[in-house]
Amino acid sequence: MSFHTRFTCLGACLTLAAGAALAADSDVAKLTQDPKVWAMQAGDLNNHRYSELKQITSKNARNLTVAWTFSTGVLRGHEGGPLVIGDMLYVHSPFPNKVYAISLEDQSIRWKYEPKQDPAVIPVMCCDTVNRGVAYANGKIFLQQADTTLVALDAKTGEELWKNKVGDPKRGETTTNTPHVFKNKIITGISGGEFGVRGRITAHDIDTGKIIWTAWSTGPDKDLLVDPVKTLTWTDGKMAPIGPDSSLKTWEGEQWKLGGGTTWGWYSYDPETNLVYYGTGNPSTWNPRQRPGDNRWSMAIFARDLDTGMAKWVYQMTPHDEWDYDGVNEMILADIKVKGQPRKALVHFDRNGFAYTMDRVSGELLVAEKYDPVVNWATHVDMKSGRPQVVAKYSTDKNGPDVNTKGICPSALGTKDQQPASFSRKTGLFYVPTNHVCMDYEPFQIEYTAGQPYVGSTLSMYAAPGSHGGMGNFIAWDAGTGKIVWSKPERFSVWSGALSTAGDVVFYGTLEGYLKAVDLNGKELWKFKTPSGIIGNVTTWEYKGKQYIGVLSGIGGWAGIGLAAGLTKGTEGLGAVGGYKDLAKYTELGGVLTVFALPDR
Amino acid sequence: MKSLHLSLLQPLLLLPLALPAGARADDFPTSGRVEYVLECMQQHDGKHEYLYKCSCMVDRIARALSYDDFVAMSVAARNQGLSGERGGLFRDASSLKTMAGKYREIEASARQACAVPPS
Repeated sequence: MSFHTRFTCLGACLTLAAGAALAADSDVAKLTQDPKVWAMQAGDLNNHRYSELKQITSKNARNLTVAWTFSTGVLRGHEGGPLVIGDMLYVHSPFPNKVYAISLEDQSIRWKYEPKQDPAVIPVMCCDTVNRGVAYANGKIFLQQADTTLVALDAKTGEELWKNKVGDPKRGETTTNTPHVFKNKIITGISGGEFGVRGRITAHDIDTGKIIWTAWSTGPDKDLLVDPVKTLTWTDGKMAPIGPDSSLKTWEGEQWKLGGGTTWGWYSYDPETNLVYYGTGNPSTWNPRQRPGDNRWSMAIFARDLDTGMAKWVYQMTPHDEWDYDGVNEMILADIKVKGQPRKALVHFDRNGFAYTMDRVSGELLVAEKYDPVVNWATHVDMKSGRPQVVAKYSTDKNGPDVNTKGICPSALGTKDQQPASFSRKTGLFYVPTNHVCMDYEPFQIEYTAGQPYVGSTLSMYAAPGSHGGMGNFIAWDAGTGKIVWSKPERFSVWSGALSTAGDVVFYGTLEGYLKAVDLNGKELWKFKTPSGIIGNVTTWEYKGKQYIGVLSGIGGWAGIGLAAGLTKGTEGLGAVGGYKDLAKYTELGGVLTVFALPDR
Repeated sequence: MKSLHLSLLQPLLLLPLALPAGARADDFPTSGRVEYVLECMQQHDGKHEYLYKCSCMVDRIARALSYDDFVAMSVAARNQGLSGERGGLFRDASSLKTMAGKYREIEASARQACAVPPS
């Protein structure tokens, strides 16, 4: 199937384009081709979250059992997951962003890194002190700390190699995303859309951390890294130049300076086109009346040249956002048939409830359909203009400040937040964790103060009315036709990242703390209750001939977890951990990495 | 697909109905009981008498609720304390508030029956 053609081309095209560039490339792209390792948070450059491993199958998944567990020693929400390279596993924690290097042989801790960060960063993190995991390349581990420091560690010793601060927490700038290593660069973003932060991504030299380019989401063309003539966007049913001042024209006065458009999602990279893909978040403030215009390029997908940062194309999903439908969710690159034609596609499940299939080379809009039938704020996306057709009664802007707009679906959480979907190269389908939640939303007037929340709305959320009563679904999606293939209802929103495998099993976690395995029809094969809710992403690897499945659990708000480590006081182990020796084998309380395998026969 | 959908919907729809006495599933796995007892003992300074009292509590809860319902309802109760937007979902949603409230009632009645003071 299409995967094979892509694979051959990938190899051939890489060789062709190699030349001098290849010498400087990092080893991570090559590592991701080995299914035994898990070298990037998403498993590969394409954000597939798919593994070729097939020891665990839909026939035997019901026998999965706990192999080992590891506590991070930190409470609060645990997003992301571990990396596995060779005989080592690297796992991170939420703030204070500890990193552990664990031997797969005996689960002993080889090293631990704990940055010193000002706790003042905690209150400026809008949505818990999460971190979506570390990156690896060329014998280095890269960590994007909450206080916006990007740091490189020696993967063998944990020693700091370099640091570079990409933002200022005093202005509300924080970071939660994983660093992304593409070729010989590290790309990282910024969070803080709730604080009037102006979004951008930066590309760093892998050896020094030095910034190579910065691309802003809002502002003048030179900041955006766009060419008014060569940078294209979907216009009247075709690709056309964005023209001069494409962002400035869509904001009143200097509002673009507080414009939002933050970049805390999952980026991807296509070596064939040398383009990096990512999404931008909500415009600031939340109150839409205070920022008339389309507010470009918040809520948009950017395709940029990795070497220069110059944008090749851009597409705005939600012009003039009125609901906080951030556009940062993962960009999945897949070669699939779209309406019968083979396409190099980019698939994006937006918070706004529409799943977009784009031609990732040209930027053309191919499919935009609702991936939860309850989505009601827009009737559809007009395929000619590419704009959602907003339903007047759900427009918080039309209804105005201090009016409570009721029954909007999805809620501000989106039909899906950042928790990444999986693309099975075997089935060609996408497996997507979703919210099934609606809201009432009331904007109000607000003044901007640096480092203070710049939200200006109140909202309340509830399970989608008139449905199954649960707040989530786990769905299979056909991005070529824009249709739900099956939908498995869940009591709670599904906030964990999915994994699909060549063993015909799809894994995801739930807020109850269940790790679930389902077959390709969505039938539940197995579930296991981990100690806390799962908002981490499921990972797989192979060590000494055995396939393992690992997932972080820990959403915060739990009790009793401490006793997993035999501690008698709830606060013990929270403070600074003494010497290296104390860590020897079993650790502290907190979020837990639970690792599963099939039993030996 | 339709039939799959419906059969999976049942537990969700039945949840509020399954709460009154008479559920009597008594299907808690050993790990679920042990986890409950350990946590409950921890809340009472690990005193040995709470091995018995906390076991008494979880056995009563297990007779009142299926394990799946217990997990969902206790999570609804616990996650109301989460910060930010996430906690907002648990504090706002009336279905979750009902689950949380019902769970607290069942736990309180077990506590009383087993001579465990409120923690």
